[in-house]
Amino acid sequence: MAAERKSLSGRQFRAILKKDIVMELRTFEMLTSMGLYTLLTMVVYFVALAGAGQDFDVRKIAAGLIWLAFVFTSLLGLNRSLVHEHDQGVLDALLLSPIDRPVIFFAKAAGNFIFITIVEALSVPVFYFLFLQGKGFGGPLWMLPLSIVAASIGLSGIGTFLATMSVNSRGKDVLLAVLLIPLIYPLLLGAVSAASSSIVGGPHAFSEFWQAMGFIGGFDVIMLLASFGLYEFIVGA
Amino acid sequence: MARNKTTIATLALGGLLTTAAFLMAFLWAPMTDFGSVNIGGAEIARPDIAQKIFYFHVPVAEASFLVFFFVALYGALFLAKKDRVYDTKARIAAEVTLMFVILTMISGDLWTKASWDTWWVWEPRLTTYFIMTLLVVAYFVLRNSIEDEERRATYAAVFGIVAFLDAPLSFMITRWYRSIHPVVIGGASGSWLFGPRLVTFIVAQVGMLALGYAIYQLRMREELTKERIEAAKAALEG
Repeated sequence: MAAERKSLSGRQFRAILKKDIVMELRTFEMLTSMGLYTLLTMVVYFVALAGAGQDFDVRKIAAGLIWLAFVFTSLLGLNRSLVHEHDQGVLDALLLSPIDRPVIFFAKAAGNFIFITIVEALSVPVFYFLFLQGKGFGGPLWMLPLSIVAASIGLSGIGTFLATMSVNSRGKDVLLAVLLIPLIYPLLLGAVSAASSSIVGGPHAFSEFWQAMGFIGGFDVIMLLASFGLYEFIVGA
Repeated sequence: MARNKTTIATLALGGLLTTAAFLMAFLWAPMTDFGSVNIGGAEIARPDIAQKIFYFHVPVAEASFLVFFFVALYGALFLAKKDRVYDTKARIAAEVTLMFVILTMISGDLWTKASWDTWWVWEPRLTTYFIMTLLVVAYFVLRNSIEDEERRATYAAVFGIVAFLDAPLSFMITRWYRSIHPVVIGGASGSWLFGPRLVTFIVAQVGMLALGYAIYQLRMREELTKERIEAAKAALEG
């Protein structure tokens, strides 16, 4: 019985995830809007840094700039992913079907994680191309993708959770930002610190990186557990 | 009616104790100093007058954390029992938290300016507190943007719990982050807190908690009366 149930949850999880991916592949709505938004952010960065001169070492703030773009583009994507469900009544249909609520949560969060990670994977090379050419990395390169993936887990988890609340409210986009940004503050600080260890490097890059990763991991676990436990209440309300 | 009397008594006690603590802080508790200077052969202590705000600032800050805990606790109780009264309790607790948080920010900022000569510094306690302020504000923004009553209560309860979990994480990460990027200015240590200073501090703390409790009870009574009037109006019209 238990094995059967487990495989059933797995199939339900895959079905919801597949639905999101197929829908995205047909329209490319989320990926194009998020990607374009990131590019526009880069233009704003150029304007912001235009007066800083040639001596200014962009690497010192690069990790922060990258994450700034990620946070705002994620806000856009997270909102999109649930606004569709809400407007077309998909969420209600999912709730009517005999699927465990946590399965819905994990499937939606996994979908958002995939889209956010794709956009991040595309925008980091663009950022490098536009701002860091010829500067070189101070620390090991593998740290950067690892920290981005680890932090994106927490970001998409808590983001999906909060977006489910904000779609049911007035002023959806603003509310999501107001709820999400203070909550992910610890995650952001960890993520920027870990990414900085890779970009800037320095003698303590390794120990700093792993400590930051410890914080990111801790945040991921605590917030995913909390979202997992509380999701039933918010979709039921 | 017995409850009313307790509330009034607590309010009076809170007012009395905080006023007493204010006087004690200036008239009784010995001045702390930054060490001493040698002027013309005589050792003269350099007084730290700004430290007096400690007897106000720290009790207010600790009260805010305690009341914030109740926001999460009543939120959890609401989710467990689905009783609307817990939602009202959580909301009023959040209001009291907001009051204490604002007082802490103001008093803390004055102290920062006097003691570190800057209005703002991204120091772990200040940063965490800033994030906490934003979370409490977000709690009210969330409440205001949802019309359905039960949904509002549920979302607020859930957010209250998550926000309470977030506060210690913010503190730990900021302290760690600043320790790898050291700042010159540090906080005060606790070694001077004994005798009259400790007593003053405790009086202020108890007084502040009593005030917080009394304000909570008064607001709660106001809310309950409001609800009864609304119910009566609905019954008359219906």
